[in-house]
Amino acid sequence: MSCGSGDSSCEKPRRRSALLLLGVMALIFIALSVFSFLPSRGQATPDAVSFGPYQANDGKRVFQAYNCMGCHTMVGNGAYLGPDLTEVYRHAGPAWLAAFLPSAGGWPTEAAVRAQLLDPNQHADTGTDTIDAYLQKYPGAAARIQRRGGGTTLMPNLPLSKDEIGQLIAYLKYTSAMNTEGWPPKVEAGTLDRRLQLAHGPIALAQVVPAAAAATTPVASDPAAWGAQLVKDYGCVACHASDDKKLVGPGWGGLYESSVSLADGGKVSADDAYLAESIRQPNAKIVAGYPPGVMPAYDTLLKNDEVDAIVAYLHTLEKQ
Amino acid sequence: MQIQYQTQRLSLRFFMLMLVLFVVQVIYGMILAAQQVDPTLLQGWLNFNVARAEHLNLGIMWIVCGFIGAIVFVAPLLAKRELVAPWLIKFLFYAVIGIVVWNFFTQFLAERGIAGWWLGQPWLQQGLEYLEAGRIAGLLILVGFLILAFVVLRTFPRVREWNEVHWGLGLGVGALAVVWVFGLFYVARLDLQEYFRWFVVHYWVEGVWEVIHISLIGYFLVLMFKADVKSVGFAVFWGIALVWLSGLIGNAHHYFWIGTPEFWQFWGSLFSALEPLPLVFCFWHIYLDAHTNKRPLENAPAFYFLLGSTVLELVGAGILGFVMTFALTNVWSHGTWVTAGHAHLALFGTFGMLGIAAAYYATPILRKVPQFDPRLGKLGFWLVFIGVLGMAFAFAIGGTVQVYVYRILGLDWFGGDVNRAMGTYKVMLPLFGLVLSTGAGVLAYDLFTLGRRMRPQAAVDAETTPHPATGWRRPLTGFEAGIWLLLMWLFGTIITLGLLSFNLPHVRVAGDPTLPYVLAGVGYPGLLLVTLLFVWRFIASLEARASAPAISPLLRVLPAQG
Repeated sequence: MSCGSGDSSCEKPRRRSALLLLGVMALIFIALSVFSFLPSRGQATPDAVSFGPYQANDGKRVFQAYNCMGCHTMVGNGAYLGPDLTEVYRHAGPAWLAAFLPSAGGWPTEAAVRAQLLDPNQHADTGTDTIDAYLQKYPGAAARIQRRGGGTTLMPNLPLSKDEIGQLIAYLKYTSAMNTEGWPPKVEAGTLDRRLQLAHGPIALAQVVPAAAAATTPVASDPAAWGAQLVKDYGCVACHASDDKKLVGPGWGGLYESSVSLADGGKVSADDAYLAESIRQPNAKIVAGYPPGVMPAYDTLLKNDEVDAIVAYLHTLEKQ
Repeated sequence: MQIQYQTQRLSLRFFMLMLVLFVVQVIYGMILAAQQVDPTLLQGWLNFNVARAEHLNLGIMWIVCGFIGAIVFVAPLLAKRELVAPWLIKFLFYAVIGIVVWNFFTQFLAERGIAGWWLGQPWLQQGLEYLEAGRIAGLLILVGFLILAFVVLRTFPRVREWNEVHWGLGLGVGALAVVWVFGLFYVARLDLQEYFRWFVVHYWVEGVWEVIHISLIGYFLVLMFKADVKSVGFAVFWGIALVWLSGLIGNAHHYFWIGTPEFWQFWGSLFSALEPLPLVFCFWHIYLDAHTNKRPLENAPAFYFLLGSTVLELVGAGILGFVMTFALTNVWSHGTWVTAGHAHLALFGTFGMLGIAAAYYATPILRKVPQFDPRLGKLGFWLVFIGVLGMAFAFAIGGTVQVYVYRILGLDWFGGDVNRAMGTYKVMLPLFGLVLSTGAGVLAYDLFTLGRRMRPQAAVDAETTPHPATGWRRPLTGFEAGIWLLLMWLFGTIITLGLLSFNLPHVRVAGDPTLPYVLAGVGYPGLLLVTLLFVWRFIASLEARASAPAISPLLRVLPAQG
């Protein structure tokens, strides 16, 4: 393999013709690229997508700021520790996302998603007002709640603010609306039960799918035990620890009758009235060091005796 | 052998920095492998995304350090004079350290969601795979590339006097800076952002690094085997021409599913299927050049890594890239561990090993210990080589399981379904990672202390007679090398068919994974074992020259190796 006998003359014209060919290819590439981004393609763009007052454009910045791509894939690019996020909005819907994102360490329960549906933005975006209609419309949310609701995830809690959560939902709405030429490929292997069986075998399946919706019997005679059940059902424990650690919101251990510093500089004693108000209208008094608006209001979701039961449960939690 | 130009000495500090960054990168790799097994490990302290950003960025930085070291070492030889403005190269060294340290700390801001937005740009970190560095670090890196390009181009003779190696390196250092610019602006549309992100990632690896790689491999072959610069130049020219002609439109294989139109699937499948051509060509050339003379290996570790770099370029970048380059196979491999196997072999194998080869070539010369003990270097090579092949195996088979559970069965709970199915392979990853890490430690120790340690007793003579039955150490003929090459492609074809078989109704609708599993189970281990055996065979044939009777004892620079 050598080029002629010692002189480089045979190489020069080849350099030129190679460059010429390269130029032709560059022209093809540029032409294809221009066609890819013409408006006539009808591809979704982030400035046309919003969720309530939140813009997909802002959501993309949040997505990059938290380096979501470092664990997840988006349109298949990124890391492979967590699931692809391209279509998560289409599958699970905005209310599930709103319930999940502030406390990503825990899987939302049905009640936690229901609490999000009270948000007028959610109402406007989903066009549904009942949890049943919502779960019908977003079967991915129903499957997630049924299989995992109330459990812990493998994702860390992130310090997302209320606005950032809304912006992220807008961004995920945009990516769901994108035309990705059929990727990810459609699943054609039958029902969820069949697919789970194929993945894990019939015996292992029992461990994968926990007994759905363990019957919750209200224990009116023992308010504290009832309250303990309620905080699980409503997914409160995804954000609040039973000791005094901060998960997302303040921990509950030793909270009762302690003195709480508020964000406005005031102090308040955590008596029954304060605890009940913080459940019903969490944004009325914000604890110092915590952002407002992350916790939904449970005013219309919980009955009076349920709030009392939760407060009674909080009485029993000691500082550890 | 000794250096001819004083400014060649400047390369040593870049090689040492490369080794430090390599070791830190490997430590981060081990953390990531452990987090794949238990994602809650270190959660809140060092989240996976931050550890991965460090792992990727350190990987890029140490490969670039290896390139700079190698280029600084060979540029005076190519120019036949000292580097111009050596102070700029000294400044570059401290600038690289500064950028690495700055970027190392700013990546942690991702845990708080701080990107440093100002004037519409993320200045501190930007959360894009491979381009995690924020705009401040990005602009400084651009300045660094410009310094390198300035020094190299000013040192080189006039363009009329350039041979192909000059052309390769000249184009390479220039394009290094030009391509980087596409990563320096924020793009709001996701499809357009990914379009430009691959400009940097694909054109760097496929267009620029590959060109620098081909040129450097060629020139090191000239230095090591006294190969004819003309015949190497011929290979370098065709290598670069084929890389650019196939890779320019070949970039389209990244544009299948990011929101760009369907026609890219045609162009990407067609052109990127041609991308292995230059790699086969380069592979063939190292065979020819290494056999142009029959002298014993003067610097065994340097040649081991040069060979490893070329072979893994063919296997990791070429064959494992080829299998997933068609729209019909890529639709399954995309976004899974299958791609990570390819990426590790291609990046560490091709470019990392080249940097280590250059360090092993240059360090003994710069430290004036031509008769260094090569045993630790050889051990280190086998450890990292086996380690990275094993990791690629874990990624590829784990990825095949992932395709089935995640894409065919559509189960997207990683904690519950996908991780559970991939469990065995998730554990294999840190195990082979440990082998690679040990090798990295050995290499770093050996190169740091080379020439500062006591010389060992003369080693026992290597066994040089061919094995009576297998003929393992007999000289490697072109015919035999061709058979090895064919075997690699045979297993590559089996892997391709395995990925294609996911399209069959029997797999996709009936949900029976037997066929893809069997094809992957034959293809990947087959390919990786053939690779291992071939490198072993190639090296055995060269080592047997050490005491071949034709060699006069005066020419034997090294004591026989054990």
